[in-house]
Amino acid sequence: MLEAINLTKTYEDGQLALDHLNLKVEPGEIFCMFGANGAGKTTTINLFLNFIPPTSGTALIEGIDVAKEPLHSKEFVSFVSENVTLYGNFTAYQNIDFFTKLAGKRNLTKADYARALESVGLQKDAFDLRTKTYSKGMRQKLGLAIAVIKGAPNILLDEPTSGLDPKSGQEFLNLLIKMRDEGNSVFMSTHDIFRAKLIADRVGFMKKGKLVMLKTRADLEGEDLTELYIQYMEEREA
Amino acid sequence: MLKDIIKKEIVETITSAKFVFTFLLCAALILLSVYTGLSSYKADQKEYSTAVGLNKRNLESQANYQSLAGLGTKINRPPQVLGAIASGVNEAVGRVASVNVAYDPNLIDSKYESNPVFSVFGALDLTYIVKIVLSLFAILFTYDAIVGEKERGTLKLMLSNKIPRDKLILGKVIGGFISLLIPLIIPLILSLLIIMVYPGIALAGADWIRLLLMFVMFFLYLSVFFTLGILVSSRTNKSSTSFLVLLFIWVTFVTVIPKLSIVLAARLNPIPSVHEITAKKDAFLQQIQGGAQKKVMDWIKENTPKTKEDQATFQDKMKKFLEDYQQDATSQIDANNAALERDYQLKKNSQVRLAVNMSRISPASALTFSTMSLARTGLDEHERFLASIRAYKPVWTKWANAKMMRNLNFGLGTTPETKVVLDDMPQHTFEPETLGPSLARTIPDFGLMVFLIIIFFAGAYASFLKYDVR
Repeated sequence: MLEAINLTKTYEDGQLALDHLNLKVEPGEIFCMFGANGAGKTTTINLFLNFIPPTSGTALIEGIDVAKEPLHSKEFVSFVSENVTLYGNFTAYQNIDFFTKLAGKRNLTKADYARALESVGLQKDAFDLRTKTYSKGMRQKLGLAIAVIKGAPNILLDEPTSGLDPKSGQEFLNLLIKMRDEGNSVFMSTHDIFRAKLIADRVGFMKKGKLVMLKTRADLEGEDLTELYIQYMEEREA
Repeated sequence: MLKDIIKKEIVETITSAKFVFTFLLCAALILLSVYTGLSSYKADQKEYSTAVGLNKRNLESQANYQSLAGLGTKINRPPQVLGAIASGVNEAVGRVASVNVAYDPNLIDSKYESNPVFSVFGALDLTYIVKIVLSLFAILFTYDAIVGEKERGTLKLMLSNKIPRDKLILGKVIGGFISLLIPLIIPLILSLLIIMVYPGIALAGADWIRLLLMFVMFFLYLSVFFTLGILVSSRTNKSSTSFLVLLFIWVTFVTVIPKLSIVLAARLNPIPSVHEITAKKDAFLQQIQGGAQKKVMDWIKENTPKTKEDQATFQDKMKKFLEDYQQDATSQIDANNAALERDYQLKKNSQVRLAVNMSRISPASALTFSTMSLARTGLDEHERFLASIRAYKPVWTKWANAKMMRNLNFGLGTTPETKVVLDDMPQHTFEPETLGPSLARTIPDFGLMVFLIIIFFAGAYASFLKYDVR
């Protein structure tokens, strides 16, 4: 479970990036966070990963305060970034092997890696290719495979579907649904309203560091999410 | 975990195109420089032996001691085998000095004098390759060590795991350094093999120690640029910025500081020109020569025999007078020249010391000075050799004057041909510097490099702990 309690971040230049965020992503839930660039979506992820310290408030992963026990909390979270480039001179096997070992899993075999790579839909003949020859979709799948094999119950994704073609995007979403169904908490920051609507259990709109709207899948039934988003943002602006 | 990061760094580097390119270029340059250095040493050795033999034959072929004293003997600088690795000032300073009764000896006929085009680009020895080429490679290997990971997003991915930052930076430094050493160590080992099997090259025990210490200095020098690269990479947000900053520092260290130090030292501590000293020496020589004619005439007037029977005694007395007078005049000239030279050398050494110490803040200068000292091709060894020739000059002129005066014959109108015998001619000796003083001279350079490595590494370490990975 991911939980933010009054989580606030003000940068050195005085910019308020996150303003008292209170949020809980339950196990078996996909939460999609929308917002313009600079709204605070990535800051939230950075705070959960302890890449930056909070100004106030707490970020909890499985009940562990990430600011107090950063290394311990990272055992329970996986991360997929917007643009997974990985090590271009490494093959998929070499990349997954390195990051799996960093995650503390040392006894996995090549067959385990192959299963993880297959589970995200990566073609077998690409496993031994250098990843610099991969398309963006293939790299994102590999990034997700690294997250999958870590086996952490929480997954943070920072705009993972941006730049993916429709087919790759759909495959990617299917993987997230599968992870959700396995009981993982999934937090995804995204601009991709269309795709997010298909999989999100809850959505949130962020503006200038504030969570300005929170809706469940049931709330969204019959709603045009894109229109709602634009309308909501404009209202708030006014 | 540390092992995994080190392994990743090594595998990532050695599978890259830049490693293959670096390795091939390093191997080609290092092996070529060592081979050509050794070939050049062999040629110098042959040239030296020929010149020594030629000088001896030349002296023996002189018609009499008078012409021998005028011609003088030639002292050749023996080549140093480790000059093949660090040629130092060898190419720039003279290789031979003429020792005669008239002039102060000075080393002339340098390789650059013989062919000035070589002075334009300098020698392509191993020290030069490490100083210029490999230090650039060190930058190339490290400029994106941290910031590159950030740009690729792999830094965030790594740190999203349970890995402490100190372990990560340590692993990257160790792995990166091993990757940098591979293109250096393999060609260096091959170079040692070449040195061992090259015909006619035999290194003494102390030479091996000197050579290994030179290699240590190479590693330290590259470590300076390596740790600097990690430091800059962990303080910048773009790899292009990191590269530009490093390039600027490299240019400052390698070219600006050494050259500027020399110019500044000349401004801060000016010395009289060589021409001024030579003019003073010439003036004193003319003064002595001018007085000599009158003194000899006066002596002849006073001591001319009244009868023919006293001629033989007169000749003996005159020879004695001339020898004493010549010895006295030469001593006066030598003493005056030595005083002028001492004063000039003191001022020059002070200027050189200032330039050397100022430039030492650059690791490139520290590398140059330390390897020159270890190879015995530096300024100090040159000064020692020159001093040995200057110390030899009065000894030789005393012998030559004595021989010349004792073999004068005034009665026949011409000087008789007296066979020149060199058996009792004093020989010039020069003992190359022992290991102890050479080592002592490299301590500041060694210390500076270790200091810079510690500072840069500590800076990189501290910067990375606070590095903004976003």
